[in-house]
Amino acid sequence: MMTSSKAISLLRLLVVLIGASLMLGIYSTSFESFGTQLKEFFTTDFLAETGASNSVAAIYLNYRVYDTLFEALMLMVSVIEVINVSWYKERRAYSFVTPRIQLHQYSEIIIQMVSFVYPYVLLIGLYVMVNGHVSPGGGFQGGAILATALISRYLVNPNFDLKIDGFERTEKILFVFILLTPISYLFLQWPPVTAVLSDGAYMILMNTLIGLKVFSGLSIIFYRFVYYEAQE
Amino acid sequence: MEFITAETVSVLIFFIGLYGLMTQKNIIKTIMSLSIMESGVYLFFITTNLSENSTPPIGEGDPALFADPVPQALMITAIVIGIGVTAIGLTMFVHYKQKYGITNWTRKVADPSRTSDDERSAP
Repeated sequence: MMTSSKAISLLRLLVVLIGASLMLGIYSTSFESFGTQLKEFFTTDFLAETGASNSVAAIYLNYRVYDTLFEALMLMVSVIEVINVSWYKERRAYSFVTPRIQLHQYSEIIIQMVSFVYPYVLLIGLYVMVNGHVSPGGGFQGGAILATALISRYLVNPNFDLKIDGFERTEKILFVFILLTPISYLFLQWPPVTAVLSDGAYMILMNTLIGLKVFSGLSIIFYRFVYYEAQE
Repeated sequence: MEFITAETVSVLIFFIGLYGLMTQKNIIKTIMSLSIMESGVYLFFITTNLSENSTPPIGEGDPALFADPVPQALMITAIVIGIGVTAIGLTMFVHYKQKYGITNWTRKVADPSRTSDDERSAP
């Protein structure tokens, strides 16, 4: 009995070692560079073509906008899964009861410092979101920073006084707008693509929509895990 | 050839995650191993086509000096999807734990004749 399980664990270790050494060997001996065709295509004229100074933003909002659409769909599907596969729904209706685990009070230093930093985190998140097409940043990063602000709010005030339903509805509505904006602007060319100004407006609108959507999605995930899944 | 480059480190991280995926019996540790594998993939893709002295692909610089923006844009997508995968896995784990009371990858002991070697040898 012991020998077979030991042999299996040895086999696992061997598989990993052989796989890693094979991968490293093949990579170091016969790796060919991908070439720079794609890079040249995406970096030569992105400012005139898309109106974004940040070529990463130009890629995920203009050249390869399908990526962004399906990624937003993917995040929404996972949020729906987090809400609906939860065991909590089986037992009771959607109503909050105080958890049996006592939410302890955090130390005064943390509370004071976080409540001091909190508005600046919001400000940085909005800045990264709105300025995503001319500087490093973008919708996803800004949304994650905004969600961090909400998580630090949980450190200061660990009470359940947020409406998760509202966040859920907001996320779905924002997803519809994320779908509609590139379809009307990039695919159907309405309003007509004329100037860098309209391109910039499109970028800012899309980054803001994506940021708010990521913000609500991550907040839903965090608050579901903290309050609903933690209950006995 | 320099051995410690980002590519080799990312391959090692990926296989460390794979090893954890194969050996850990706790489901949370399995999900953590999956995240470790994902981070190896991120590191690998971020550093493909990376050249010395490259500048960030922002603004009106020399396009020949720009870092490759394609893997960066792809990895933004992959990171958000990684968050989704981790959240889905943890939710399913909590559901499973509440339903069966087990946090491990053990088989249910409904039929004693079907217990595996691992379970019999476990203390």
